[in-house]
Amino acid sequence: MDITALGQPVELGQISRELTKLWESMAGSSSRASLVNFAVYCRGVEALESNTKLISEFTRSHACRAMLLADVPATTGQRVQAWINAHCHLSRAGAKQVCCEQITFLLEGASQKLLANTLFANLDSDLPLYLWWQAELPEEANEQLWTWVDRLIFDSRAWEHPREQFARLQALLTEAGSRLIPCDLNWTRTLHLRQAVAQMFDNPENLAHLPRIDQLNLVHAPGSRSTAVLFAAWIIAQLRWTKDAANSAPWEFTNPDGRTVTCVLEESAGSEISRCCFVAGDVSIDLTRESGSPFFRAEVQRNRSAQWHHLLPAGSDNPVDLLDEELTTGGRHRVFCKTLAVALTLL
Amino acid sequence: MPQPCNVVIFGASGDLTFRKLIPALYNIAMDGDLPAALSVVGFARREKTDAQFRGELEEAARKYSRSGLTDEVWDSFSQRVFYHRSEFGSDEGYRTLAERLDKLDAERGTRGNRLFYLSVAPSEFEGILQKLAKFNLNTTKVGSWSRVIVEKPFGTDLPSAQELNEVVSSVFSERDTYRIDHYLGKETAQNIMVLRFANAIFEPLWNHRYIDHVQITASEPLGVEGRGPYYESSGALRDMVQNHLLQLLCLVTMEPPSDLTADSVRDEKVKVVKALRKMSPEDVARNVVRGQYVAGAIGGKEVVPYREEERVSPTSMTETYVALKVNIDNWRWADVPFYIRVGKRLAKGGTEIAITFKSAPGVLFNKEAEMGGPNVLVIRIQPDEGISLRVQSKRPGAMLRIDPVKLDFHYGTSFGKASPEAYERLLLDAMSGDATLFARRDEVEHAWEFIDRIEDAWHSNAAPPALCEYAAGSWGPKEADDLLERDGRAWRRM
Repeated sequence: MDITALGQPVELGQISRELTKLWESMAGSSSRASLVNFAVYCRGVEALESNTKLISEFTRSHACRAMLLADVPATTGQRVQAWINAHCHLSRAGAKQVCCEQITFLLEGASQKLLANTLFANLDSDLPLYLWWQAELPEEANEQLWTWVDRLIFDSRAWEHPREQFARLQALLTEAGSRLIPCDLNWTRTLHLRQAVAQMFDNPENLAHLPRIDQLNLVHAPGSRSTAVLFAAWIIAQLRWTKDAANSAPWEFTNPDGRTVTCVLEESAGSEISRCCFVAGDVSIDLTRESGSPFFRAEVQRNRSAQWHHLLPAGSDNPVDLLDEELTTGGRHRVFCKTLAVALTLL
Repeated sequence: MPQPCNVVIFGASGDLTFRKLIPALYNIAMDGDLPAALSVVGFARREKTDAQFRGELEEAARKYSRSGLTDEVWDSFSQRVFYHRSEFGSDEGYRTLAERLDKLDAERGTRGNRLFYLSVAPSEFEGILQKLAKFNLNTTKVGSWSRVIVEKPFGTDLPSAQELNEVVSSVFSERDTYRIDHYLGKETAQNIMVLRFANAIFEPLWNHRYIDHVQITASEPLGVEGRGPYYESSGALRDMVQNHLLQLLCLVTMEPPSDLTADSVRDEKVKVVKALRKMSPEDVARNVVRGQYVAGAIGGKEVVPYREEERVSPTSMTETYVALKVNIDNWRWADVPFYIRVGKRLAKGGTEIAITFKSAPGVLFNKEAEMGGPNVLVIRIQPDEGISLRVQSKRPGAMLRIDPVKLDFHYGTSFGKASPEAYERLLLDAMSGDATLFARRDEVEHAWEFIDRIEDAWHSNAAPPALCEYAAGSWGPKEADDLLERDGRAWRRM
């Protein structure tokens, strides 16, 4: 990769001093801004370039100290290399550039040993720490590291073994206490669909069908099963359906009125979740999304004839947009935590 | 105003002279604040000439002076620096020193004023002071003065501090004794009083009604750096808490003095030390955590455990980390805990005081108060001296989401002038006869009284509290986190 994009190489012990120099050299024309420590942990040198681009985009709307930590296997021993650079964007007023700093670390060797110290030593004090973990969660967690993280960002869609990983996440959340907020971009990915469903059932006429649902059909793209499971788990948790039997497809649940509900997940090329259909007797509430479309098409049918339809925004799958969505609107994710417990039974 | 004088440094071959004292005197000269009539005499055992001594000092000043080295200024300054070789116990050495100082007075107009700087191990204090007395170097002619600056450690416990004080006071009056604590010379430490008493907005809030707790941290990533034998006999509590951190605690918590004279300020500080709640062995077990670092990683490199450091016992029980919760039993600070932590081989270096205010009522915006956290005023003592205040702010947009933002003031960039080093200020004060930033005898002794109870609980107790391990490069032992967690709090991130 082209390491010039990472900026100026610096000695590990001189990062703070070099950053001060950097900002002094830019004084007058630009302002340094930082509201959060945004750390990205990734694997492999190649990830540095794509993440630097991502950070550059991200800093347009989120002033932060970005720390990019790439973990690479070492051929010999341990080594940490560091670079600093700044991402500058014109402020809304247009007169001055607003700049954010990025510190990049290449951790070679026993990186888990080096990671916590590298991160701790370079935090901008007093600001929250958001850590985007672009890998499987480690088996042996550094307890102190996780208790320092305010928001743990991850994308469960990228996990190879989601069940194991979600279980690990749950253990980590228990250990880290109330401070750590899990931010699953895969969960964020379902936000617009969840909003669309909620909006559909906000209609009093449709709301009446909610306790009478006897089937939920979801169609997801290959590789997006975990997205569909999270979404299904949300529905199940919110509607307080209980699972009837061990993992088997289709899943069967019992709703609080004792009614049996069947849930079917089907894989098909297209959007992450291209269809979500609730069937309640002769009524179906169907949300579909064409591949590439920015909208869900919502349709309510009675006896297979359409009563009305509606378009609802579907959001974006771009990582920067997902991050932006998450950091702008994401709260403490109590619903996600509730969903997580259900998702674990479905995976 | 600093007065003409001869500054005599005992232990002139030592690290402190090269790294701090001479660069400080040079920088004072550079700023034009050094009295024109001033000489520096380095007193040490090693054989060397004035020229050799000056050459070595020049090299050190070039390396350690905050303002670099301007040859013209150094040439002028170094002509006033002399070397006096002698054993500390040699009568002849002090007799010739007295002659030399008299000669310098006559030649350079230093008016018989003497400032003796004891930059030596405490075990040497008594011998040196007795010799100074024997050769009348502690007494002066009318209109002149003779002062002594004593470096830490000032004792290792209350009895030894009292003994040392007796020795010093038998030779110099308390008025002429300057016990140095370089933390007090730091710009931000001095600014604590200004921040508190010159800003109307803080003092009304500076009490148990509005402050939830205070954290004082002194952390460093360095290990013992070859000072194993000293550290083995000292440990973090004696090395840092008894002096530096309790001094900072006093500045943050004392009542406003009636004026800025040395005794008025120090009277108020003593009241704080006296009001520190004395700890029983049970309190120590509950409120004090001592730790020692084991192997870990710092700055991308693995580091050895404390017990494998050079000249450290492999079975050492010396603490390299200490965290304690203390209370000040007075009206202002009733029920406000003060959490103090200090340690070596921690993740990041820095000294700071963080004042955490009570949270605003949770009726409107703070229903999820943990999102933003309380207001925190941070006074950074070092590095990057400055002050920051964390406040809550609404994130732009239709949603009501509150995030913390930091209002930050940096000394380094705000005044367009580098802050003087602590030793510069302290040397100038000693030359001026202002002891405000130096510790008084009763302050030191009361501080030892408080510390001794902890040391006793650790060492004289049949079942002493455990020595907790922490990985080098971390933020200390888990037990220290638990100390705050059980109060529903957490250490501040630096």
